[in-house]
Amino acid sequence: MYKRWLRALQRATLRVDVFINRVYPSEWNPLYFTGGLGNLFLVVLVLSGIFIFLYYMPSIDSAHNSVSYLTERVPYGGLIRGIHRYAADGFMLAILLHLFRNWFTDRYLFSRDSPWISGMFLLGFAGFVGVNGYMMAWDDRGQALLAMTVRVLESINLRLPFLVITTHPLGFGGIEWVHVGRATADLLTAGPGIGEGTLVRLLYMHVVPASTLFLLLWWHYVRLRHPKIWPPATWVLFCLGAVTFFAAVVPAVSGTPAQPAGKPAAFPLDVFYLLPYWLLKFMGPVVVVVLGVAVFAYGFYIPYQMREEQIEPLRHAGKAIVIEPNCTGCELCYYDCPYNAIVMASSPRPGQTRAAANRKLVAIVLDSRCVECGICIGACPFQALELPQITEAQIQEKVLAACRT
Amino acid sequence: MSDLSPKIIGFVCDWSVALAEAVTEDGRLRALPNVHIIMVPCSGFLRPQWVELALKQGADGAFVCGCPYGDCLNREGNYLIRDRIQQMRRRLQRQRVDPDRVAMIAYGFHDGEAFIAAVREFADRVRAMGTAAPSARAPVSGSS
Ligand code: HEM
Ligand code: SF4
Ligand code: SF4
Repeated sequence: MYKRWLRALQRATLRVDVFINRVYPSEWNPLYFTGGLGNLFLVVLVLSGIFIFLYYMPSIDSAHNSVSYLTERVPYGGLIRGIHRYAADGFMLAILLHLFRNWFTDRYLFSRDSPWISGMFLLGFAGFVGVNGYMMAWDDRGQALLAMTVRVLESINLRLPFLVITTHPLGFGGIEWVHVGRATADLLTAGPGIGEGTLVRLLYMHVVPASTLFLLLWWHYVRLRHPKIWPPATWVLFCLGAVTFFAAVVPAVSGTPAQPAGKPAAFPLDVFYLLPYWLLKFMGPVVVVVLGVAVFAYGFYIPYQMREEQIEPLRHAGKAIVIEPNCTGCELCYYDCPYNAIVMASSPRPGQTRAAANRKLVAIVLDSRCVECGICIGACPFQALELPQITEAQIQEKVLAACRT
Repeated sequence: MSDLSPKIIGFVCDWSVALAEAVTEDGRLRALPNVHIIMVPCSGFLRPQWVELALKQGADGAFVCGCPYGDCLNREGNYLIRDRIQQMRRRLQRQRVDPDRVAMIAYGFHDGEAFIAAVREFADRVRAMGTAAPSARAPVSGSS
């Protein structure tokens, strides 16, 4: 059932490609490098973010003013603020396209789970950073978002026991039941309720997770050989132009400054980041939390949902195996494996064929990383690699049979 | 007779153009019965030796079909086989075999018609080269 549904989505995804490829040469199809587009927007975000950071004052009294100052007084300040906002939308759009495309085209299964799992973390961090950014402007919307977040967190009525340590000679002061939701809310606002420390905390929670994205990206790429991390120049220029265009035509502006007791009834919704807050209009906070957790938990489960038997047999030919006596240690397979699944080890003994007699190295396939694509077989000129279920002998047999008839 | 010549062997990536309905039981293209299709898990899986084997064993032409460039399921397979075919063409030239007897094409899942058109064009080109060619040469040792 799941599989049939997924295959239908796969056909639809590839149908979209047909149309795009009619317009551009296929190597320009933007859906082929959505990850690279995400990276492009991320770099724009970091650069424009550094600029904004130079003017931002993280305190209840001056946050809104400092942003207004940046927008109205600083040359190009408004433009750069707009670029920061629209690049954030572009970023989310790109990584959502990236997620769905990788999902619908099977690029996450089994051994390929490492980019997927790190991708889920990237998505979570990106969403968090984005929402946080709206709070930092500290206008009516920012304040409302923070208040809603605190309300949602406090609705998580989960209590966990903590040991209390005292200065008493025995050192043990009993057990305290901590309200997890409220404790988390306090972490976000830096202390009980919104106070002087809150905006510093928000700034910190914006910059640190945003920097962490780069750590996560290392994890994202570690199994990929030559990841395509950057789109073609034409698309770079187009995206920069589009972001600047929007920033100039629809400038990013703040609402009215946050009021101590303010409770805005409505604010402009950014569909890429603030959708969960919109849901709060229709559902209780607990429902929204449960829904969010369920969506994320399912995201982490996706790579393990399909069972191996459900994969088309040709795409499930078994992990590549090295025919050790033939391997010459030439490293060609090591350079070509797109998933870094082959390592070269020093050879404990000479190989058996003439070409392999003087080898120094020998190839080893790491099963946990091999995606069974067979690319190393094509790379090896010495017949030292096989896919167990589609062997060289079988292919040659097919070729000979086709030639005979 | 003329229907089954020139004899073409096509190695097609399982993920690229969808051929389930377009291929007969004995592996020929319905639209072009002179073309035998051998499905492989990824175009990058192919050893160029197998393509050469086809030519040496009497095929008049051979082609490889991968996914559209940029969309290889395994990220790089079609680029790699494109390079390997390019090297192989130079090798064929040295062996006095017309390198245009091999071709590399790239079509996606829904590109069936364009695929057939490209194969037909390739077959016509091979037909124009004449069909006798390389089978006269010494057969290669099967798995050396
Ligand atoms: C900060 C956001 C992200 C960036 C900048 C990013 C970037 C990239 C890049 C550059 C690649 C390499 C593509 C290639 O060369 O084939 C890649 C691969 C991949 N990404 Fe992301 N990504 C991001 C988020 C995500 C998310 C949210 C998911 C899904 C949960 C995801 C899933 C994957 C998968 C499964 C692959 C492997 C594709 C393959 O094996 O062909 N990524 N990503
Ligand atoms: S089949 Fe070969 S090339 Fe493909 S992932 Fe496994 S080791 Fe790497
Ligand atoms: S390409 Fe073949 S011979 Fe060369 S290192 Fe890899 S397995 Fe060994």
